[in-house]
Amino acid sequence: MTIKTSNASDRPLVQVSQAVKTYGHTRALSGVELQVNAGEVLGLVGHNGAGKSTLMRLLSGLERLDNGTVDIGGMTTPGAFGFSGVRMAYQESSLAPELTVRDNIYLSSARWLPRWCWHKAAAESVVSRLGEIFPDHGIGPNEYVDDLPIADRQRVEIARATITDDLKLLILDEPTESLSGSAVDHLYNYVRKLKATGVAVILVSHRMREILSVSDRVAVMKDGAVVSIHRAGEVSERDLLLAMGGEVLVTEANATPFGPAIDGGRSVVVRVPMTTVSGEATEITAREGEVIGLAGIVGQGQEEVLDRIWHGKRGDIKVDATRAYVPGDRQRSGILPLWNVDRNLTISALSSLSRHGIRQFDAEELLVDKWVKKLNIRGGSRATITGLSGGNQQKVIAARAFASNARTILLDDPFRGVDVHTKAELYQLIREEAAKGRTIVWFSSENSEMQHCDRVYVLRAGRVAGVLHGTEITDNRIITMSFAESETNAA
Amino acid sequence: MMNFRNLTIPAWTWSFLAAFVVLILTFMVAGGGAKTLTLAFTIAPYLVLVGLGQMLVMSTGAGNIDVSVAKVFSLGGLVSIAVGEATGSWVLGLAAAMAAGFALSCVSLASIIFIRIPPIVATLATSLLASAVSLTLAQGFQGSADPVLKGFLGSAPMGVPAFALVVLLFTIFVQLMLGRTTWGAQTLAFGQARRASEYAGVSATKTLTIVYLTSGVLAALSGALRASFSAPNVELGNDYLLDSIAVVVIGGTLITGGRSEPAGIWGGALFFILLDGLLNLIGWDYAGQNILKGFFVLAVLFLASGVPIIHRRSASANPADLTLPEAADSTASGASFDVQASAERSTVT
Repeated sequence: MTIKTSNASDRPLVQVSQAVKTYGHTRALSGVELQVNAGEVLGLVGHNGAGKSTLMRLLSGLERLDNGTVDIGGMTTPGAFGFSGVRMAYQESSLAPELTVRDNIYLSSARWLPRWCWHKAAAESVVSRLGEIFPDHGIGPNEYVDDLPIADRQRVEIARATITDDLKLLILDEPTESLSGSAVDHLYNYVRKLKATGVAVILVSHRMREILSVSDRVAVMKDGAVVSIHRAGEVSERDLLLAMGGEVLVTEANATPFGPAIDGGRSVVVRVPMTTVSGEATEITAREGEVIGLAGIVGQGQEEVLDRIWHGKRGDIKVDATRAYVPGDRQRSGILPLWNVDRNLTISALSSLSRHGIRQFDAEELLVDKWVKKLNIRGGSRATITGLSGGNQQKVIAARAFASNARTILLDDPFRGVDVHTKAELYQLIREEAAKGRTIVWFSSENSEMQHCDRVYVLRAGRVAGVLHGTEITDNRIITMSFAESETNAA
Repeated sequence: MMNFRNLTIPAWTWSFLAAFVVLILTFMVAGGGAKTLTLAFTIAPYLVLVGLGQMLVMSTGAGNIDVSVAKVFSLGGLVSIAVGEATGSWVLGLAAAMAAGFALSCVSLASIIFIRIPPIVATLATSLLASAVSLTLAQGFQGSADPVLKGFLGSAPMGVPAFALVVLLFTIFVQLMLGRTTWGAQTLAFGQARRASEYAGVSATKTLTIVYLTSGVLAALSGALRASFSAPNVELGNDYLLDSIAVVVIGGTLITGGRSEPAGIWGGALFFILLDGLLNLIGWDYAGQNILKGFFVLAVLFLASGVPIIHRRSASANPADLTLPEAADSTASGASFDVQASAERSTVT
């Protein structure tokens, strides 16, 4: 591979100005300003929903802007292959699992491989690139991707992104999340090497120490904008946390004791064994009538905890009560598209309403009327579910769970993309139902929602990073805890 | 085309309309009268029974299909006659056939649920298994149906086949089960959105188990009765694979799952049986008949999946009506008619 040294002029390689991107009512980017120079490593940090992913999708040409401009090496609109010279290694691997490593390389880099007899060329290029980045990798080009352990898949993903003839900008999205020890060092050595040849690298990571040790500058995103840019040498982890909206309470927050607190009187109905970030055994527990939050950066194990409680048969879990689940992905996991609001609402409650398996239509109707009225569902009980707005659909799906006789309700980040008014109604519903003795376990990617909880477990890499009680639950503390790195975890 | 949205005619009526059109054409072509209908109602119940099982399977969502019905049907026939002959009891014969259908469905289910083989492949494998057993059984097969059962299946007091009434009652039972029980609601919920229904508390394993077992048992039972009506044969069920899927689709059941139309199966079955008779009348050969049937299924699927001009997303109007002009066209082009030929095709010797 030859790496072209970038344009000799002083113009930055990447110039984003006034970038605005909205999805429905959600403003993902609200006027981003960013410059990346050739031969520079830019760290990018920010909490959930700060707009990092949207910005990276924009730079790799997957998204178009609603407003503003982006200019990468002279190109202002992405072509069929995105912006030329921009490659991205995705956190959730973009590899096709049923293909071999070699085939995946061809899929992604066909333009730089021979058109015929590409097998050997693709295999050679991936072996040599893997060898260059991770000298001790041991991955064969003919191995199937789904046979590889996750760390190796991540290595291939990174190598895949770099196999091109004209690399100008490499975006690494959480590249070290599944790598360990020496692999991390190898990767960053390679990043420094790329930098020396004039390639720009954007490193998105939650690992502050890595960001600070590798980057030249660090950009902090918050609420869809770049709020500050720091020279890596002149800034500390605490400064970055502050800029993201965290509190400088690292030590105090970590000192919060684990385990049950306050309300000792009511019985524990859910008990999930976990480990803390420092490797000690702990538990996520929920008492009758409690609202328990699972917070932290998205994808750090919160959904796995819900899944363990929902299936509730993996031996280690203790769940006393019947359960209902409110999924976040309405379209795929929520609505029953052929049915009206009424049947969508009653499906979970049917068996408890029926007599010997025979449906009791009058009882169903009463239940539907009660919930349609209570949650003010637009269109009423006979409306088609697909005709409702997202917020009203979500009301129906929440009502489905609460209308059942389940004692424990699991919420899987269900209020994403729901309007403020609906959210307020549903928060109130959650508190009311908890007051009636139901237990709520609630994963949310929006930290501010967690204030409605009695207790919040902040998860990091599948482990418990900390617990917050009552008034301790603030955006700032959750953010701070989300980034807590223990000695064992920091490679 | 716009007023389609406002139509509230149930989806199953279109298949009856199609059957009615073919009946009229048959009358026009060959004259005849109630006898044609009696014959159709004598033959239709076997297809309806298989179709009901197939409908339940297809209602559980895209990808769910039982392609083993044809071979299970044939095996059911052989088993029931063999056991009936050996024990002297036709009841035991039918029970044995149902047990065979049950056992074969268990094989399909094990592959679908535990090994996660796509249903079409799993039931195809079961189909081969059933076929192998049938061929073994058929070697030097001697046996004939119990005269009591045979008499019942052939009886039609006042032109109304008794067996058809029994199957009609069963159809109503299935309709009630789907509409008025928790099981029915859960099955249909599973069919329209598998993941959503599982989060709503519907068990995938239970749902799939019930529908595949029902399909296998009904196919074997239908085969057993059909063999008692005529004679057991390894080839007896062959037509029932395409036909069972076709009558389900033409009857208005969504191939993508979540909506069942048991009544429509009667319309579909009568349509097909009358169509067979009519095509025989006008001299179409077997291959031609199958091509036309296949075309009808594709036409219905094509229309049901939303041809742009119709633009129907809601489950209000069924597109089967649009196939009618084609049915009329193709059938009207024939020339030689003989009601006896129709009868020959319908009655099995």
